[in-house]
Amino acid sequence: MSTLTAGEIVARVKSNLGFPWRESTYRDTFKFGGPDTVVKGIATTMFCSYDAIRRAVEAGCNMIVPHEDTYWNDRDDVSIVSGDPAYKLKVDYMREHDVVVFRIHDHMHAQKPDFIRVGLVRALGLDSKLETAPQSQHFTLPEMTLGELAASFQKRLGDKAIRVVGDPTAKVSKLQVGVGYATPPINAPDVDVVVSGEGQETDGLLDSPEYVLDAATLGIAKGWIMLGHSISEEQGMLEMAQWIKSFTPEVPVQLVRTGEPFWAPK
Amino acid sequence: MQSISRRKFVALTATGIAAAPLASMARSIGGAVTAQDVVDHIKKNIGVEWKAETVDTFKAGDPSTKVTGIATTALATLSVLDRAVKAGANLIITSEPTFFSRSDSPTPPVRRGFGPAGAATAAETPPPADPVFTAKDDFIRKHKLVVFRLSDHWRLRTPDPFAQGLAETLGWSKAAAGDPGHISIVEMSLDALVAHVKRSLNARGGMRIVGDPKLRISKVAFLPGSTPIQASIATLPGVDTIVAGEVREWETVEYVRDTVALGEKKSLILLGRVVSEDPGMQVCAQWLKKIIPEVASTWVSAGDPYWRPTA
Repeated sequence: MSTLTAGEIVARVKSNLGFPWRESTYRDTFKFGGPDTVVKGIATTMFCSYDAIRRAVEAGCNMIVPHEDTYWNDRDDVSIVSGDPAYKLKVDYMREHDVVVFRIHDHMHAQKPDFIRVGLVRALGLDSKLETAPQSQHFTLPEMTLGELAASFQKRLGDKAIRVVGDPTAKVSKLQVGVGYATPPINAPDVDVVVSGEGQETDGLLDSPEYVLDAATLGIAKGWIMLGHSISEEQGMLEMAQWIKSFTPEVPVQLVRTGEPFWAPK
Repeated sequence: MQSISRRKFVALTATGIAAAPLASMARSIGGAVTAQDVVDHIKKNIGVEWKAETVDTFKAGDPSTKVTGIATTALATLSVLDRAVKAGANLIITSEPTFFSRSDSPTPPVRRGFGPAGAATAAETPPPADPVFTAKDDFIRKHKLVVFRLSDHWRLRTPDPFAQGLAETLGWSKAAAGDPGHISIVEMSLDALVAHVKRSLNARGGMRIVGDPKLRISKVAFLPGSTPIQASIATLPGVDTIVAGEVREWETVEYVRDTVALGEKKSLILLGRVVSEDPGMQVCAQWLKKIIPEVASTWVSAGDPYWRPTA
């Protein structure tokens, strides 16, 4: 039985990154448990949901490496949530099962290439030959309608609650791929369609839904496809699991999918 | 503001339009009502102290413009502006931005990395003219429209007009007589409630639901607009479902998903920010008619921006 600890695994993550660890990160830290916990197996996951933790534990993994927060706010500030019964139940479960949680978000996006982006491009079935420059996330696709493009993404990813803004019959070919909340601006002249996870609907730096609605009124081909935050970023947690596996041969490493939280009405 | 029934509401709206030309003619003898007059009336009657720092300002047009009619909306899209013009309105009162950002500038934002993919463009270089920004600005100038945003102060009113509008549109006016943010309804399943909400709000593809479709619902809370996790944490324990506009997926969505996974009988209905604010701006048109009876005020629905493939 391996005596590998969570602290030793984190040290290997840091030394395998290829660039210095940013000590200023508030995101990429232990969220539950600590460096001394002996690790039986590692699960990467997109959201550190209770369900994902439970399935990781059932699969023999007690170290969770999530991309996103554990306590329903980005800073994992427990003072916001600690009075809620769900917080107590979640923490009790993790304590009982000797779980350790270490989030890797900022350093994952800083990797070259960013696994999260690589994973989504793979899952969407986008051919790298169609990418305008390596890792540019800009693709020139054969012309099709926005409706056809959105339907093809939904078919590949199976997300029921996909949301699209724009004229479904607009002919589009220039696609930019974003992930999570890092949604590229739709008003760039060299972009017809942006696909990403989630984005603020209005009152931001550039309100894409309103921009696309007005573009459609003017007959300008633009489209905004929101896959959902979880669906857009969990693909790359497979690449993350494979990477961690490459330097932690002592323990099993696997992806535990968080899946789509939503259902959509008919 | 007094709660009124949906039927009475519709009747008042219709009467308002018909009576308006006569009323404004009468008023024009003594002097025209300007956009600035309307905003002054709003400030005097809103019932909350006007903030020094606020997005509630004129976004386009000349405040001294004589008002031919007022159109309220959740989002002043080109389509909404066009329908407002056709209805004879030249003052638009919107709860969300007009020029695609909180700053509401009629020119596009300057951003890092702006320009073609990979091109390093200096931040001080102004972006090229954007056809959508330009066309919208041109439309507003051509029709001599005045646009005023009413968001910060409208949502501070008691009772919350956005919650009140949702309650009225969903046929729950009586139940909403106290606090329209927390309502007891005739018990139904979550999927039946979702179908009712979708139909009543003319939602298309923007609705997203967390929770068991068979869950029985009798206590509903509204969180219209955009709300942080703190609002959901404070609200969910007292109700069966939250009907919200926009939340962050890593906050409220995961909070409700965990709460459900841990065995609590809870759910979340997301409408989208604009859809959640649309009925509250219908309430605004009704309120404006009361405080400025000499000008016709009509609500122009912004509608659901989203659709999804019919797979």
